[in-house]
Amino acid sequence: MEYLKVANSPLMWLACGLCVALVLFQSLLFVRKSLSVSKEMNISDNQIKSALKSSFTASIGPSLAILAGMVSLLVAMGGPISWFRLSFIGSVAYELMAAGFGAEATGVTLGGPDMNATAFAAGVWVMTLGSIGWVLFTALATPKLDQFRNVLAGGRKALLPIVSAGAMCGAFAYLSLDRVFRFDIQTIAAVVGFGVMAAFMIYNKTKKKQWIKEWALTISMFVGMIVSIIF
Amino acid sequence: MGTYNINVRWHDCFNYILDRRFKMETTKNTSTKGFQGDYMSYIVKWGTITNLLGCLFAFLPAIVVTFIYGYKPPISAVFAGFIMQASVSGVFWFVEPISYFPVLGVPGTYMSFLSGNIGNLRLPASVAAQEAAGVTPGTDEGTIIATMGVAISIIVNIVMLTIGVILGASVLSRLPAGVIAALNNILPALFGAMFGQQFIANPKIGVVAAILAGGMIGLNKLGMLAFLPGNPAYAIIIVAVFGSILIGKQMFKDKV
Repeated sequence: MEYLKVANSPLMWLACGLCVALVLFQSLLFVRKSLSVSKEMNISDNQIKSALKSSFTASIGPSLAILAGMVSLLVAMGGPISWFRLSFIGSVAYELMAAGFGAEATGVTLGGPDMNATAFAAGVWVMTLGSIGWVLFTALATPKLDQFRNVLAGGRKALLPIVSAGAMCGAFAYLSLDRVFRFDIQTIAAVVGFGVMAAFMIYNKTKKKQWIKEWALTISMFVGMIVSIIF
Repeated sequence: MGTYNINVRWHDCFNYILDRRFKMETTKNTSTKGFQGDYMSYIVKWGTITNLLGCLFAFLPAIVVTFIYGYKPPISAVFAGFIMQASVSGVFWFVEPISYFPVLGVPGTYMSFLSGNIGNLRLPASVAAQEAAGVTPGTDEGTIIATMGVAISIIVNIVMLTIGVILGASVLSRLPAGVIAALNNILPALFGAMFGQQFIANPKIGVVAAILAGGMIGLNKLGMLAFLPGNPAYAIIIVAVFGSILIGKQMFKDKV
């Protein structure tokens, strides 16, 4: 496993660190601009505080899940690549698949006993090439997506929230039912997550408690997970 | 009497024109200074620059591996691996940005696709932020709040990954199998909870989405989507997302 010395070298940390820094730099620019324009809009400081609190707690669970997926990537691809790939463009499922395809194409199993420098390098190249599409498409087409959304709403601003609601319902119906129809432990996790969240939402329609708005997603996520492993 | 009436009309007319001018100027002002003007042009300019830079930066690690350390994989292998990967993800380069745009908005789309982990992290974080702030997704306020949510999720994710990489594979791989299994079940629970939230918020669209997604998943399990090239998951997303949008629009177009 000589290649892991290269994979974990300071130069690799530098190359990967620049990419992570770019992600943080963009966020900084956008948040600063959004905060300044929010003052001209009907957005209060309290709303921003609740938004930050809620998205912070909601990010912890999914980030832990990404961390769990990082283990197998770390063993095969080393620290810097795993760290950079999971904070830049890809996702756990994508990265493992791409690294695997790269290694396979050189005739080696990713992380297997015959894993070598060539397979590692092929993995890095395939991970990179396979993910450029997302960034390139959004770099060039995002303003067009805005126009397309207006077309979907028939040019009526009042219908934009319906378009958003349809997109969210469709996306999460797919993502959750895909787990439900596996008929295993994940089915329980998804159904319990759905049930707990639905109960919170129905209760809060009349009670309008702010803590529920902020915590419901995180609580439902962890209750779903805990119930699924008890079974 | 007649003259008086005419004067009134002239007066009204003049006021009307002034009013229109004033309104046009104010809308013009808000459109150059506010959300749709200065803000959007700044976001689009910097979003384009940073995401194009992202395309270049992404190659840095690969360049270091091959041109500094001299690990040269056969070009045919890289090409073969790329084709395998592109046949799985190629459709998603377009389907995901188009499908998730109505939730993420312009800034959130640039940020989410530069940072990745969208369905499992960026979307839930932005929806959680919008819910807590009490803003409607799809509105200008919704876009601003989604930006905050995505940014927070980026920071949390990078901090946790940094801790993880410092602890290293040796520590992480010593976690009990039960803990790993539990962590793997966070995602299905999260997806269920997200759908629960959307379902109660928009029950009619939720039912439509469940029927479309469930039906397509069923067809796929029965092998009836096998005529489509590659993994047909993209067809399920397209039908579920755009079917729900179009049917939802038909249901609500006379009500808003």
